[in-house]
Amino acid sequence: MSLTFLTPWLLSALLGLPVLWLLLRAVPPTPIRRFFPGVILLLGLRDKTQISDRTPWWLLLIRMLALGLIILGLAGPLLNPQSTTIKRSDLLILLDGGWAAARDWQAHQFLLDRVLNQAARDGRPVAIVRLTTPSTPVFQSAQSWQERLPGLAPTPWVPDASKMQTALQGLNDQPFDSLWLSDGLAQTGRAALLSALQNRGDVEVIETEQTLFALEPAKLSDGIITLHAIRLPNTVDQSVTIRAHGTDPNGRSQIISTITTAFTESATRIPVQFSLPAELRERVSRFDIVGQTSAAGVSLTGNSLLRREVALISEGADREGLELLSPLHFIAKAYAPSAELLSGDLTTLLPANPDLVVLADIAKLSTTEETALGQWVAEGGLLLRFAGPRLATSDLSRTTEHPLMPVRLRAGGRTVGGAMSWGAPKSLAAFAPNSPFFGLEIPNDVRVSAQVLAQPDPSLSQRVIAMLADGTPLVTRKQSGKGQIVLFHVTANAEWSSLPLSGLFVQMLERLSQSVAGSEPDMKSLQGTIWQPSQMLSAQGQLEPATRLAGIAAEKLFDAPLSAEIRPGLYTHAKEQVARNVIGPDSRLLPAIWPNGTNLRGLSDRLETPLGGWCLILALLILLVDVLATLSLSGRLVSTVAVLCLLATLSSTGPACAQDDGAEARTPATNGNAGAAVSEKAWQASSELTLAYVVTGNSKVDAISKAGLDGLSQTLFARTSVEPAAPVGLDLERDMLMFYPLLYWPITADQPTPSSKAYRKLNAFLKSGGMIVFDTRDGDIAGFGTSSPNSLRLQKITYGIDIPALEPMPQDHVLTRAFYLLQDFPGRYTQRDIWVEAAPQAVEKAAGMPFRNLNDGVSPVIIGGNDWAAAWAVDAQGKQMFPIGRNASDSRQRELAYRFGINLVMHVLTGNYKSDQVHVPALLDRLGQ
Amino acid sequence: MSISAHDIRNIAECDAAHLPGLLLRSQHLANGVLLGEHGRRRPGSGDDFWQYRPLYDGESHRMIDWRQSARGDDHFVRQHELKNAQTAQLWVDQSASMRFTGHAGRTTKSDRTRVIALALSILLLRKGERVGLSDGTLAPRRGAQQVQHLSDRLEVDDIQDYAAPAIGALKPNARVVFISDFMAPIEPVTTAVGRATDRNATGVLLQVLDPIELQFPFSGRTIFESLGGKLRHESLKASDLKADYVERIETRCSALRDLCQRTGWQYHRHMTDRAAQSALLWLYHALGDGTQRS
Repeated sequence: MSLTFLTPWLLSALLGLPVLWLLLRAVPPTPIRRFFPGVILLLGLRDKTQISDRTPWWLLLIRMLALGLIILGLAGPLLNPQSTTIKRSDLLILLDGGWAAARDWQAHQFLLDRVLNQAARDGRPVAIVRLTTPSTPVFQSAQSWQERLPGLAPTPWVPDASKMQTALQGLNDQPFDSLWLSDGLAQTGRAALLSALQNRGDVEVIETEQTLFALEPAKLSDGIITLHAIRLPNTVDQSVTIRAHGTDPNGRSQIISTITTAFTESATRIPVQFSLPAELRERVSRFDIVGQTSAAGVSLTGNSLLRREVALISEGADREGLELLSPLHFIAKAYAPSAELLSGDLTTLLPANPDLVVLADIAKLSTTEETALGQWVAEGGLLLRFAGPRLATSDLSRTTEHPLMPVRLRAGGRTVGGAMSWGAPKSLAAFAPNSPFFGLEIPNDVRVSAQVLAQPDPSLSQRVIAMLADGTPLVTRKQSGKGQIVLFHVTANAEWSSLPLSGLFVQMLERLSQSVAGSEPDMKSLQGTIWQPSQMLSAQGQLEPATRLAGIAAEKLFDAPLSAEIRPGLYTHAKEQVARNVIGPDSRLLPAIWPNGTNLRGLSDRLETPLGGWCLILALLILLVDVLATLSLSGRLVSTVAVLCLLATLSSTGPACAQDDGAEARTPATNGNAGAAVSEKAWQASSELTLAYVVTGNSKVDAISKAGLDGLSQTLFARTSVEPAAPVGLDLERDMLMFYPLLYWPITADQPTPSSKAYRKLNAFLKSGGMIVFDTRDGDIAGFGTSSPNSLRLQKITYGIDIPALEPMPQDHVLTRAFYLLQDFPGRYTQRDIWVEAAPQAVEKAAGMPFRNLNDGVSPVIIGGNDWAAAWAVDAQGKQMFPIGRNASDSRQRELAYRFGINLVMHVLTGNYKSDQVHVPALLDRLGQ
Repeated sequence: MSISAHDIRNIAECDAAHLPGLLLRSQHLANGVLLGEHGRRRPGSGDDFWQYRPLYDGESHRMIDWRQSARGDDHFVRQHELKNAQTAQLWVDQSASMRFTGHAGRTTKSDRTRVIALALSILLLRKGERVGLSDGTLAPRRGAQQVQHLSDRLEVDDIQDYAAPAIGALKPNARVVFISDFMAPIEPVTTAVGRATDRNATGVLLQVLDPIELQFPFSGRTIFESLGGKLRHESLKASDLKADYVERIETRCSALRDLCQRTGWQYHRHMTDRAAQSALLWLYHALGDGTQRS
């Protein structure tokens, strides 16, 4: 802690304070005027002291303090000023700049900015060298570096010994001071570089105090993902949370699993195990440590957690018991470590969409199988076929090339090196550069004693990817659609050759299956391949698309240390994807050890803090206190506070009043009588079941609607357990609809179309399970859908309503049996057409059932024109208001109308439970079938 | 006159009934006293029954109370209680100094004075006394109408800073009530009390003061002004004056008390931070000694 001033001479003004003290004491405070009736008694009284009431000493002290603080503040005090002893002009700033610094990069930049500021003030040339991308230091003005500062980003690799060496060689001999921003990780070249720097001038090292965690690559064994978390040596218990990221089935990124574990005592490496179902496991794309924003805290998986699905198909049945002779034994062994093996017959396995299908010596496939297999190959499958006695004797691909065979075959095949032949068993020829097997080493002991032979075709040479020493094809391949078909001209067991016994066989299979994605390939099988970067990891642990980065040979990709060329990230080759992580397996994090005598300090301590502003603020506050104190001394405090409060109240109540006015103006309907009426209606409707009709504006129609629903309500009350309250008419614009299960909507030709707000309410009503019965009331003159005025109006009105597809009410609709069994739905008229929501297309009537099994919801709308309300309508005495039909048919038709009404209400209230199969026997019984 | 929200409502209601707010509050006050002191008894017309006596010879037959006499053989005369109406004359200080209050939430002295005076008048009028003003602006009369006239008179503000008791129309044998802060020089008060006593009138002095006027809680450089603005006094250090001022006001009070003791009057000091009821009760009892003669 040290304190200096930018302009110390200003402090001399403090000497003037005592003078001011005397001056202020001499001036009396201003008098205050008071009304006081007792003044008449005061007349003639004398003040005891002739000197006026002095300003109290404490008030003077406050003022002195404020003034003193102002002078102090203007003098520019600085806490912890940076040392200003400059021995050498040039300043070299070294940054470790690796992933370990990523978390604190902002602090680094802040520090750099301050250092550059200071350098700019001192006029020192500065050079900045990032050790992760070492270069020869170029000393420039600090301002030019400051401009480039925001672009300075950490890299996802750390400076290793070779980079330190490069940096060391780049140093020239002229003297300079150095500032080294270190991330605190041990690196082998540090000491050498430090001593080289110390030879040229003073070195100050600023080291980040931090707790670093890192994740090693994940390994999959026995279905359990194991990865290790490591940390810098530490004896504190620390808990870490590790998340597995992946994509959900829709391709969105999500966190698949989270595990919290803890480093206890001095542990620096702890295992973390994720036990996930296979489907989830295959979606995992990376792991990371919560709160650790560095590339080392991320472990990419590439395809290493993926398991190929290999379908093994063989005739099999007649060869049971001879395990080693099984045509699939060696293939199963070769694939077992890296793939899920499926076995069975082709028709059951193909729907599982395996990555690879192996046909071992199968000549005959059914037409269905062939078609399915052909389609699967065309979509990107790899069909791996092996020859054998059956293939050799069959006529498959003999005269014309079979779609599922890469080449035509000659009859019989050949045997070499057998007891009856002249030649010796053949060895393999070296793989051609265009072969997928190129680069694989061929063991000397692989011999082929029998094979099937390909017919020489013009295309044969392109299809051969491996051949024997005598030039006959051993493996042929054909592209088919997106997929390919590969034929080994030998058996999959050791009968015809020793190839399946050799390691080469495994590698060849591995190479072939690389094209179909799969697990991490081993090094040998990767030799000679070039991998394309697809996504790169940033120092902060973010995945970024790789652009303009060159492909990398497999050998370098996995062995060479990370650098600007070989960055951590995801690399692809063919369909294979591998991850290069920052931290390799079995790594250690070690803290940097600096030699004794190094000028070392932390990142956060000793900040240069200007205190001038604070002094001035404090002075202002003290002056405020002074104002209050002065006011209270002169007795004006209360009134001043009151005035201030009043002002504050006025300013705050002004807009509030305006808002109140606005609110009143906006919602006139909700206030006063109208609002009370609405809430009364809602209260009624929500306390009892209430049928409702839409008020059309035509008083006659509305009266009929009300009387009709009244009649229906009475009938419901008498015959069923539904006991509705008196029906209400609803104004769509004003009333709430949600309380009513059923809305009867008679259509008149001159009805206004509802407003958009009303439409919104109607649609919400329908969505929440309400039902609207539209009645065009013109069943006597028009069929449904004709252009009667009411129908046209209906079309206009329903334009804004969310109505599903409709159909004429089918014979088996629930409405026909919700309470009464009905087939006609007469009202005042007996038109047949009533439209309800269309049933799903696919549902067929089951045999022996009188109706389909439809378990959808309640039809949201029912449209008809039978003027039901008129048929239901009763007057105050309970008499029917309108005659319908003639004489005896009158009562019959009215009865049916009521029954329809009851079915309607039942349908609304109970939904489709009558559709339930449970009731079928009883219904059948009643139907007399 | 300071008016609170509650009063505003009262006044509004009273305007409709052509009654000033002062009157209403005074009636409330008066009702409270009446109920507390006399139970359910309502003021009658003054002709309370006293006794029956036998008819003396020579008395007119018209005096016979036939209802009582019909019960026996003798003739009885119905006698009423003898009542001597008293005259009360008020002087209420309306000067500017009375319009002072030391605290925004406190009623002014003049407001309190008027309420007390009017309430007293109502009580007296209900008992059948004659009530008037001693300065001659309102002659003593009885009856409910007089309340209205009194309240009209009491609403008038005076522009003088201080006022002295006016007894221009004092009736002999009257009861006199002076209500003021008595800040003005005491000589006119002494004179007025003396002259009243000369006319065989007795009475009370009610001094209404704001608490501030007793405590003098001032300090610092202050210019004191009278309410009318005619008098002013500047002090460089007001706190120094406190002792002197308090001594003077106490001297004034004791001088008034002495005056009353000498003349047989009664003195009471009422502070505006106390309830008006207390002052009214005191006044009622002080006057009651003279009026409630059985």
